[in-house]
Amino acid sequence: MSITGYGRRRVLGVAAAGLATASLGACGLFDDEPAPPAPPDPLQPLLDEAVALAAAYDRAILFQPGLAARLTPLADDHRTHVAELARLIGATPPSAGPSASAATGAPAETIATLRTAEQAAQKSAVAACQAAPAERAALVGSIAACRATHAEALR
Amino acid sequence: MSPQLGAALAAEEAAIYAYGVLGVHLGGRGDVTEARAAEQAHRGRRDYVVAKLAQLGASAAPSPAGYALPFAVTDRASALKLAIHVEDGVAQAWRPLLPATTGADRTTALAAMTEAAVRATRWRRLAAVSPVTLPFPGRPE
Repeated sequence: MSITGYGRRRVLGVAAAGLATASLGACGLFDDEPAPPAPPDPLQPLLDEAVALAAAYDRAILFQPGLAARLTPLADDHRTHVAELARLIGATPPSAGPSASAATGAPAETIATLRTAEQAAQKSAVAACQAAPAERAALVGSIAACRATHAEALR
Repeated sequence: MSPQLGAALAAEEAAIYAYGVLGVHLGGRGDVTEARAAEQAHRGRRDYVVAKLAQLGASAAPSPAGYALPFAVTDRASALKLAIHVEDGVAQAWRPLLPATTGADRTTALAAMTEAAVRATRWRRLAAVSPVTLPFPGRPE
């Protein structure tokens, strides 16, 4: 009837369309695109490796208590690395218990396996030291050197 | 990186001197072979640092004729203790080069620090010192 009535309907329609658009937009923002997780710190693999090494020693000691005197200080070194790296990169150090384990063989075999693991871990720490920014190079270098001394201690 | 290289040079020179002193007090053939190899390694590192400093146009401080040893070396036990002390010191002298270098120079510094740490572990084992390792070789105590 009146220009005003037509006008009101039109205004409502536009407003409804606007709401629909806004809610679609909201869906896109909050449902379809979850915030991407922060990329892991470049030293995260070094931390994971230290956790795994400490657990490997714990496992070996559990199955061969006779090796405890020799292996415990080496496991402690890795735990010290875990604490230091976790503090540096602001991560919560994961705890890998010695329970998740397979049976181990003779003591000599256990030592040889640990030595191989230390040598591999030393290599990755050397690579991490190479790639590290100046402020991290000394710490990562010391971890690499420590792993080398472990391989020596297991000879 | 010249100041850090200067410190590494001083540590290598001191190590060469120390091995000359402690050698006569060592025991079995294992000890002596180990000491000879260690001294050769330190000479090699010293030559590298001297060449590097020359390449950088930095002058190296002349090495002193003798060094004050941290304690008297009178027998095998004190000789082994000095060997451990010297290798720990060399590792500590190379560590500050890691943040001061990149690429091949950092690789060399890390190798020098690591080899000193490994020798320190061998000496600790020969001296029956426990534990035979440090969590952060090269980090000042």
